Amino acid sequence: MRRLWPQLDLIKQTGDFAAWEGPLVGIERAHTVQIAMGLPRDGDAPMFRRFPVVRVLSPALVPNWDAPEEAPLPHVFFDYDDLPMSPLCLFDLEKDEWSHRDFLARTTGPWTTDWLACYEGWQATGYWYGGGRHAGSTPT
Amino acid sequence: MSIHQALLGGTAPVGEILLADTAIRIELPPSKHKLAVDRYSAVRSHIERPDSPLFDRVAYFYPQGSMAIGATIQSRKRGDGYDIDIIAELLVSPTLSPAGVLDLLFEAINGPKGSRYHGMVERQTRCVTVYYEDGMHLDITPSSLIDALDPRRSHIFHAKPEEPAAQHRRLVVNCWAFCEWFNARTPADIDFAKAYGTRAMTFDAALLAKDASVKEVPAHSTEEGGKSTAVVALQLLKRNRNIRYAPRKDQRMPPSVMMANFAAQTAMPGTSISGALDVLSGAILAALEAAEGRGQLIDVENPKCKGERFTDRWPENRAAQRTYIEDLRIFRKQLAGLMSENYTLAQKRDLLVAMFGEGPADTVVKDYAARLGRSISTGARGTAPSGRVIPAAAATGVISSPALAQPRGHTFYGSKWPGS
Repeated sequence: MRRLWPQLDLIKQTGDFAAWEGPLVGIERAHTVQIAMGLPRDGDAPMFRRFPVVRVLSPALVPNWDAPEEAPLPHVFFDYDDLPMSPLCLFDLEKDEWSHRDFLARTTGPWTTDWLACYEGWQATGYWYGGGRHAGSTPT
Repeated sequence: MSIHQALLGGTAPVGEILLADTAIRIELPPSKHKLAVDRYSAVRSHIERPDSPLFDRVAYFYPQGSMAIGATIQSRKRGDGYDIDIIAELLVSPTLSPAGVLDLLFEAINGPKGSRYHGMVERQTRCVTVYYEDGMHLDITPSSLIDALDPRRSHIFHAKPEEPAAQHRRLVVNCWAFCEWFNARTPADIDFAKAYGTRAMTFDAALLAKDASVKEVPAHSTEEGGKSTAVVALQLLKRNRNIRYAPRKDQRMPPSVMMANFAAQTAMPGTSISGALDVLSGAILAALEAAEGRGQLIDVENPKCKGERFTDRWPENRAAQRTYIEDLRIFRKQLAGLMSENYTLAQKRDLLVAMFGEGPADTVVKDYAARLGRSISTGARGTAPSGRVIPAAAATGVISSPALAQPRGHTFYGSKWPGS
């Protein structure tokens, strides 16, 4: 992570958990993001132990309830208590697009910038041009 | 990589890409350029028809103004139309009054009832206008050569019908020499011409597909898109002026030819569009502020024709001068915002709307977002070290660069908002 994304600081590390924070750019404007990831455990594991959890810290995500597509926020796992802090949905959980064997720097990092670029496009136009699908639907 | 190669590939600053795409949407596209050429040839033939009062009396017929320097944009009054300026150099008696010359040209073009242009023509103060249903119009200015040894130095005629004849007059001009001078000072930059021409042709092809009434594709249309950044900057600044003055009913606008004069004086090869806009708007602003500081009105003369004043009808007074000074100050702040990396695409969209109008700005931003999104959804994009996503066309060209990685594809996922 340090080699490919030196702008991300490792803010916490334990034996089975790590989190990074720092600026990432989708189009031009940098957004400060947090990436958190834990090793899997048996049982009912929290989200960050099943896949990397990415949140945008600043500038905060801005819900758009009037957007023709993807209102109020596109491709996130909704945090109903704090919408702007909703984790981003970067890959299809029902396909083999990501596993714990993957390097975050080569998957989560660039996928986050992909999301940020599409989010800026969505903010500007109200349309999500990055494709994808929602649970239970077919890909667009 | 030059800024122009970057533009071709899409790795240029976003503001630069948005400016180029805006210019392409407001300018006269190659297909319409050909249509304009066909139309002025047809008008010339019509003026010279055997039963015309100007039969055998048109010495020379040539484009002037924006048409001659490749800077034509959609007109101020008709958002979907184009103003094409032409000079008709006539062989008329020196004793014929200015109103007489203009009336003669009007009569020649309007023709008898039932003829080709009858009812489509309007006599103006200095020209005769032919209006077309698609919004294009040709402004044909009659002129009379002053000296055969000084090519195209001419008189044009000023005769406002409601003014007394004593106020009618002849004006010395040399539009031809000015355009030659302008074109010599603003040669097309090869890199830029290629990058810009490719984008222009792509847009024109889409336009032609939509407009079935336009049948012909120009033979050398890619060359029509080839131009210098100074000309593109001029087109954008003229568009901004048109937008600013649209709600100011009955106020004269700063003349295009004055702006063109500054564009030619400040043109520098290898400059980006944003750079050329910064220099051009700065030069005009500095000249206006200097005049204002002296308590005078700006005075710009044709560098190729002594006595031809480009600012003879604007600014009418200091208030008019100050209005455009303020416009340019605002424009330069907006331009800085557009080129800033601290603004989001939505903020840049808002700036583009304010600078160049809602129509082109919305389309340009939507197209940019769609191109970017397609590159991501198809996995055909590159990622710069900062994370910046580079669309497919660019990524294929520079993917071997160690600065760009091509991450593997993925599918955005997530839940839908309940009830949506």
